Amino acid sequence: MAISQAMKPDLGVGVGLRVPHYAAILRERPSVDFFEIISENFMVEGGKPLYHLERVLEHYRVVQHGVSLGIAGPDEPDRAYLTRLKQLARRTKTPWVSDHFCWSGAGGAHLHDLLPIPYTPEAVRRTVERARMIQDFLEVPFALENTSSYLTYRSSTLSEWEFISEIAERADIGLLFDVNNVYVSAFNHGFDAETFVRSVPHSRIWQIHLAGHTNLGKYIIDTHRGSVIEEVLALYRQTIALTGAVSTLIEWDDEIPELPVLLAEAERARRARDEGLALREGRTLPPAAALATPITAGEKSVWKQGGPRESAASEVSG
Amino acid sequence: MTPSLSELQRRMVGALRHDGALATHPGWNQFALEHVSGNERLSPTEQLEIYREQFWLRHTGSLVEDFPGLSGILGQADWEKLAEHYLRAVTPDSYTLRDLGSRLPELIEGASWLPHQALCLDMARLELAYIEVFDARDTPPLAPERLAAIPEAAFAEARLVIAPSVRLLELRYPVADLRRRLRAESDEPVAIPDESPLQLVVYRRELGLWDMPVSPVAFTFLSGLAAGKNLGAAAETAASTAEAESELGQNIGAWLGEWTTKGLVCDVLVD
Repeated sequence: MAISQAMKPDLGVGVGLRVPHYAAILRERPSVDFFEIISENFMVEGGKPLYHLERVLEHYRVVQHGVSLGIAGPDEPDRAYLTRLKQLARRTKTPWVSDHFCWSGAGGAHLHDLLPIPYTPEAVRRTVERARMIQDFLEVPFALENTSSYLTYRSSTLSEWEFISEIAERADIGLLFDVNNVYVSAFNHGFDAETFVRSVPHSRIWQIHLAGHTNLGKYIIDTHRGSVIEEVLALYRQTIALTGAVSTLIEWDDEIPELPVLLAEAERARRARDEGLALREGRTLPPAAALATPITAGEKSVWKQGGPRESAASEVSG
Repeated sequence: MTPSLSELQRRMVGALRHDGALATHPGWNQFALEHVSGNERLSPTEQLEIYREQFWLRHTGSLVEDFPGLSGILGQADWEKLAEHYLRAVTPDSYTLRDLGSRLPELIEGASWLPHQALCLDMARLELAYIEVFDARDTPPLAPERLAAIPEAAFAEARLVIAPSVRLLELRYPVADLRRRLRAESDEPVAIPDESPLQLVVYRRELGLWDMPVSPVAFTFLSGLAAGKNLGAAAETAASTAEAESELGQNIGAWLGEWTTKGLVCDVLVD
């Protein structure tokens, strides 16, 4: 049986493991279905990051999500990076490893961004070939996430949902389906979010992301700041109605609140998930879709995947 | 002619690393018009500009997080100038932002325009050491009994393995103390310290980061051990004068005991 065909567990509703919450999590051991870690933050030799990870692994299920693979870039995937990723996957026993449909640099330069890919057959071929290789190398199911994007290319000949669906099917990998990203990109590029949700292969959705965003009027930035807006939750219910119960995660990476606020947001997602499942089972009728977006005045916002790194900056005793 | 995917991406990296608004650069403006669609709210150049701006915000932000002491010395305007100079000169090439500032000391050495250049260089070297020590490989501390158990006849030939979470710095300024003052969030102005050369050991103990000044003789001895010399050879190098030999003779036992207790020594190899 291919790696990707193994049954994917429904882990419930989890939250991103972020540095400001470490102490509260280890002290209070709150009820959380699972944590998602940013792989790169733990691909280190030792010290506090791995210490904290080990403590979390003693009590919680952890899934790995990466931000630096840049699978569709012109350079071949970095073997040293993949080796470290695989070592971490063995440590965490993650049920799958994910990254993004994106590229991140060229000619050795790494821009630390999730840059959008032109939706072309050439990019499909490249991404399929590499996704297969990576899944085989990692020996763990591999999934890619749709990103928020702020530009489109003249050379694109496919829609985003056609692009990611074709790659997932041909590479035999999973989808990490970010419903907020669908909403953000739909606003930014003027496509229909519900069409996106309906058009992807639902059996390949292994995990869902939900997050807040920042609406700057002319475009929306995926800041992972604030609560998930109702319109995104409505889209999420529709997604769950199509996929069934899928592991769902709240990402909150900017202006990170106290842990109870984050956990309350996870409970809000859980209720929406239950409502989506009720829709699927025909127990309720779908609400009217309301995709109008409130405009908020925005300041300059940086999109940050994974919140702050645990770093040396605030340490040091003399 | 439509460029290949790789060619498009290579050119786009150039646009995103450009250190000015794309709209004012005819070449990049033309690139955006040729390859980016735009929409009724944003022109192609404006869409590409979103990513360019993010590149600079993200990377300058990461540098200030990792080098708070350096940015504290320079103040906002000179810090921004240095960070932008660095990002123009040095290509970020690691998958992790943790490595972004790894060549900052090197760049500062050549930045003669920088106010307090020597002080900045010391601070950058110190803060880079903290970054490296923070997540260096874990090693269990050496049990003091293992040091005590080295047979006297084998002592000179024994090699002490210095933990990977140790860095040794020769500095011209007391930048560790300055950094603590800068981060104390006091309203009091922080005085720029006078030149006062010192030898500093940066290390990790029980997951915390520490720094410890040592004497020049102790520093030379420890540096020798870190370079792989055996105890005899490291001691010989450190005892370069009669005074140094005397200091070494009086303190070597205490130093080795302290360094072992603090986790600086992680193994001992006796042939």
